[in-house]
Amino acid sequence: MKLQVIYLCWRRNKTMKSFKKYWAIFQITLINSLAYPGELIGRSLMIIPFMWIFYQLWKVTYAASGSDVINGLTLSNVLWYLMLAETIELGRPPLARTISENVKDGSIAYLLNKPYDFLLYQLSTTMGETIFRALMNATFGGIVVFWLVGPPQHPEGIIIALPAILGAWVLHFCVTAMIGLSAFVVEDVSAFMWIYQKLAFMFGGMLIPLDFYPQWLQVIAKALPFSSITYGPARLFVTPTTELFINVMTLQIIWIGVLAFLLTFAYRRGVVYLTVNGG
Amino acid sequence: MLGRPAQIDKRVVLYEREGSPLSKIMKELKFLLAVWKANLLSAMEYRAAFLSQAIGMIVNDFLYFVIWIVFFDRFKDVRGWGIHDMYLTYGVLASSFGLVSLLFGNAFNLSEIISKGRLDYYLSLPRPVLLHAVASRMIASGMGDFTYGFISYGLSGYFTWDGLLRFVLATLLAATVFAAFLILIQSLSFWLGVMSNLSALALNAMLTFGIYPITLFDSYAKLILFTLIPAALMGAVPAEFIRSFTWQTLAELFVGAIVFLLVAVAVFRLGLKRYESGSAIQIEV
Repeated sequence: MKLQVIYLCWRRNKTMKSFKKYWAIFQITLINSLAYPGELIGRSLMIIPFMWIFYQLWKVTYAASGSDVINGLTLSNVLWYLMLAETIELGRPPLARTISENVKDGSIAYLLNKPYDFLLYQLSTTMGETIFRALMNATFGGIVVFWLVGPPQHPEGIIIALPAILGAWVLHFCVTAMIGLSAFVVEDVSAFMWIYQKLAFMFGGMLIPLDFYPQWLQVIAKALPFSSITYGPARLFVTPTTELFINVMTLQIIWIGVLAFLLTFAYRRGVVYLTVNGG
Repeated sequence: MLGRPAQIDKRVVLYEREGSPLSKIMKELKFLLAVWKANLLSAMEYRAAFLSQAIGMIVNDFLYFVIWIVFFDRFKDVRGWGIHDMYLTYGVLASSFGLVSLLFGNAFNLSEIISKGRLDYYLSLPRPVLLHAVASRMIASGMGDFTYGFISYGLSGYFTWDGLLRFVLATLLAATVFAAFLILIQSLSFWLGVMSNLSALALNAMLTFGIYPITLFDSYAKLILFTLIPAALMGAVPAEFIRSFTWQTLAELFVGAIVFLLVAVAVFRLGLKRYESGSAIQIEV
């Protein structure tokens, strides 16, 4: 009994130490991302023309439809939805490209021989880079949308959507890390990234909320992981209901489980194929 | 016999040494063709990568367009602008973007070349610096964009044989405006230094505003789209010209292309006077 307690304490200590290690990596990346505030702000300005053109498109579309509400969403809902969807999309660092470049220039060798798990290291750095990028995008995007259509109908929605936003980043990490790992075999992953990005645009409801899609396409799109990355959190923000929260989180957890398993498997197989030139 | 004035003498010597303006242009054209040939041979060295990028980009363009198909299926039109107009606008925009990527790939990262002192290489050679610098890179995926533009035009419902000729001409003029805009923005790097964010912002604004229906914008916004961000000259105006020939749209495209090109070259030349580098050893591949 005593031995079992000692073993459990030892395991817990080890887990805590491991967590602290990745937490430290996360913190360092987070602080690093603030090292060049001009660049951080400059990059985030991109959301401004996007939101302005979305406003023009949807203002005309709502006016033409002659209705204030289309499929349960008002013009204000659509704009705030798109603001969060764009924030999630633009806040992501280019992980697949980074891994691909690491493979091409051989620097991946310096990451693989360190005393940490490669995937957890990438997750920690990706999350560290994401936080302030997303915050800046949300700030600029939020100011523009507020100026154009006023405040969101449910400001508290952002707190309810927060776990879904975190889940979306983890899910996105799983997909892009898998695309990045394909560089172990094919080196250049840009074609995969373009196609993933466009699938995310289409099935994630990046430019048009999925509610406006034909019914059959909605069913397909909502079942795919892309909808859990953008549509789910963004829809939760504008219409925060308990039922939607449970739906979004359940789907996210299922997809995170499936993709994390596939990612681990792909990593173990990929390392075997990896050939490093130079470095 | 009276001797020729010294000024005329100089001109004659220059003329005899460098040839007539026409032969100078031909000489640069030959050089440009040689650079493009070298770029193509270099890209074709990795045929599988070249093809995968070209095909990947065609799939990418198609997937992006599906969103517009869904939109117009649901909402039919935007102030008279329908899905057929979108096919046409998207087609000419994709082809002109692809053409610039293929022939003047370095126009996308000219600011990086300037700020990192990589112009040294081009300055040391007896060729026009700007032309040589921007033409020295071919982006393989541009082939996908260029091809997809023609497919999109074919699907637009506006296809006619004389329309195809107008499509080719409009693509060339739109590509000139686009390349000039890229050079103009990226040349600001002579004054501002590293400006990757501003370049990305300008590029995204140009493409986004170029794709969206022009009928969305009021007169103030349209003024911006013809001047500050000339997206209308890359999307809506060429599309209008392809739909039906008018001298007015052709003149708009020609004047726009020439004015932007002249301004871009002038700004680059002005900036080049301020250029400085740390004489770092650079290898241009």
